Amino acid sequence: MDLVQKEHDRLQKRLKASQGIKNVQSTIDILQQARDAIAQDPNQAAVTLAKLQNPVKSSFEAINDSLKETHSGLNKYTKSLDKLFKDRPLPSTEHDVLSEQEHLIDRAIAMHLLREGQFSVAATFLSDILDKKAMTQTSESTVCSTDQAAIVFDIDEVPSDEIRKQFGQMYYILHELKEQKNLLPAIEWSRENHEALDARGSNLEFELCRLQFVWLYHGESHEHGNKSGNVKAAMQYAQAEFQGFAPRYLREVQQLIGAMAFCPNLRDSPYASIFNNSSAWDDVANFFTREFCSLLGLSADSPLYIAATAGAIALPTLLKLQTIMKAKRTEWTSENELPVEISLPPSYLFHSIFVCPVSKEQATDENPPMMMPCGHVIAEDSLRRLSKGNRFKCPYCPNESSPKDARKVFL
Amino acid sequence: MAAELISIKLNPESHLILDQPLLRLPHELARRNFKTVQRSVEREKEYVIPALKEAANASLSNTHSPDQTLAALDAMISRMQGLKRKMQSLQEEEKKIQTHSRKRIQHLETLHKIPSLADVKYDQWSRVRLDRLLVDHMLRSGYSDSAKQLAKDREIEDLVDLGVFTQCQRVVESLRRGETKEALQWCGENKAALKKSQHNLEFELRLQQYIEMVRTKDINKKVEAITHARKYLTLNAESQKDEVNQVAGLLVFTQDSRSEKYKILFSPDRWKYLSDLFVQTHHELLSLPSQPLLHIALSAGLSALKTPLCHSAYTSSSSNSQSTSTSVCPICSTELNELARKMPYAHHSKSYVEGDAIVLPNGRVYGKSRLLEISKNVGSVETGHVKDPTTGEVFNENEMKKVYIM
Repeated sequence: MDLVQKEHDRLQKRLKASQGIKNVQSTIDILQQARDAIAQDPNQAAVTLAKLQNPVKSSFEAINDSLKETHSGLNKYTKSLDKLFKDRPLPSTEHDVLSEQEHLIDRAIAMHLLREGQFSVAATFLSDILDKKAMTQTSESTVCSTDQAAIVFDIDEVPSDEIRKQFGQMYYILHELKEQKNLLPAIEWSRENHEALDARGSNLEFELCRLQFVWLYHGESHEHGNKSGNVKAAMQYAQAEFQGFAPRYLREVQQLIGAMAFCPNLRDSPYASIFNNSSAWDDVANFFTREFCSLLGLSADSPLYIAATAGAIALPTLLKLQTIMKAKRTEWTSENELPVEISLPPSYLFHSIFVCPVSKEQATDENPPMMMPCGHVIAEDSLRRLSKGNRFKCPYCPNESSPKDARKVFL
Repeated sequence: MAAELISIKLNPESHLILDQPLLRLPHELARRNFKTVQRSVEREKEYVIPALKEAANASLSNTHSPDQTLAALDAMISRMQGLKRKMQSLQEEEKKIQTHSRKRIQHLETLHKIPSLADVKYDQWSRVRLDRLLVDHMLRSGYSDSAKQLAKDREIEDLVDLGVFTQCQRVVESLRRGETKEALQWCGENKAALKKSQHNLEFELRLQQYIEMVRTKDINKKVEAITHARKYLTLNAESQKDEVNQVAGLLVFTQDSRSEKYKILFSPDRWKYLSDLFVQTHHELLSLPSQPLLHIALSAGLSALKTPLCHSAYTSSSSNSQSTSTSVCPICSTELNELARKMPYAHHSKSYVEGDAIVLPNGRVYGKSRLLEISKNVGSVETGHVKDPTTGEVFNENEMKKVYIM
């Protein structure tokens, strides 16, 4: 990369210093002078023209010289690029499964734009898609009309107005929360979805209300220094709102109220961390986003972003594999599974993984993990092979059991 | 621990696979620009020097009047001035291209300063990359308006090639409308480079013109078609014998011919074929990959993330939207689920479960501490009980059983 940058610097310098145009101008000047001379004294024409031959020729040579210099600069830069990307060609494109599923990709992009809050781009994007569809539909109206209808349905279904409205609401709430420090819309949303949140075991509503309490306590204190008013407002809020939280969050509520006793000197109290938590607002915002998306059945971070990033991380390994396989002229034996392990950062692991310790195969719906009475788990295929229908010994402990005692587990 | 450290290490050099076109494309443009300059200079040189010689000779032998000599000189001067103007505008273009290159190099350079994939800066960088990939995809799909808007909103206009693709798209649209003019003009501009291309775009375009003339059934047009064919289609008569013979045959066949060979030539699908061929040739010439970069990134990424659980008939205990303690897996999320269906899943050689895994009577496996935490937070669960966050069933705490997953 350093080399590329250096060569590019050099190239730019050369281009800046390039004499090409100056040389052209000087050619023009020579010609112009000759012309003026001849116009003044037509008798000198032959001599002037004869004298003109060499200067013009040499000024063309000068132009070409400066071009040559640029050319060599360009070539050196090409070489540095080649060197940077050597052994790293883009993967071969023989079978691009995804291009058959263009509409699904478009759908994913539309949803990505919406969830990122790029509403106007998303709107343009959707109308672009519709335009294109209208175009292809008119030209291919006879071909596979059912198929087309399915595609139209697919695209219109998901990033529908409903989803757009939902994300619109999410961004409104987040904006209020982050920019205005206004928690009320978020609290209102969490109240509306109280049941769903409660079923998930989510603390969101309480977290929001607690932050509201803290916010009321701090109030405008930096400007007015009117502490007692703030405490009063916070206490009023607590009286009005914290009733409902009592049984479940009793301890936390007690902490908040207890902290009021330390009021003027809260900074040195044991409760300081609750009241002076600089990342509290960001944490709550992230928490809210995650809960909001989860209720829609969506992951909190854009799947498209995660997938593309994971792809970039995985590509070097996959490319290496491709080269090796080409060299050895072999093909994948397992069509459903990648032939190499790709190490992604831990944050990219979402599911638990079960690899059968006997067969080394990953569990699937067809070959699920089975737990023997001793608590060890192997894949169903391995279980069948080991037991052949009879009592058998667990491969990991002395326990013996019958295959029908093994139970399917869900990871 | 060691494996964990390896998995978050960022190797910038090998990480740049997807970013080759980012530097290659402006460089191809710069080279093309340079060649145009070179050609123009060469052309003027070939005109001015002989013309000057001729003028000198003519003036020596007195065959030219002074006025004629002056006129000849004026012609030379004005041509040189034309050259200068052209070079100036090309230089402006050059400057623009090099600024793009510079910005792009800087953008890639920042990656070298990021030590780890877990770094917040990597996250930001990768988001910019996604935006670039999206713009690339939009441009290739012909959604120029969306692409422009996204590039502007995200301030990455220097990192994407709006101009190149918009131009390409214009030609594609003209071909779809059944016009060959813009495509032929493009061929003219890139004549030298096209000679090396294995596709014969220009021949196919000329052939299409010919077909359109024949299609009219007008006798005058047919005569015109023959002249056209002589002029353009017989240039490579040797190597394209079959095609040329077929072309001659076209004069006899009508559009409703039952011969497959001719039916194809008359078919309106040929316009689609031409526009695809144009795109292919265009991308090859600028060393652009033939498929959107987003596809490359996604197909690798979907597989790397996918597990057999993502399309399982059973809800996964470890990642689903029903519990606040798990985050939804991106492959299971609505956006990508269908898309990933046909992809292979990632290979793992080791199981990966929470250390304190327990199994509930219904067969669901959870981390014990996590399950207790969730149950504590759910208001409706009595003490001494746990609630399965996936199914909602409530069990006694002593029904949890240790499970050994190796």
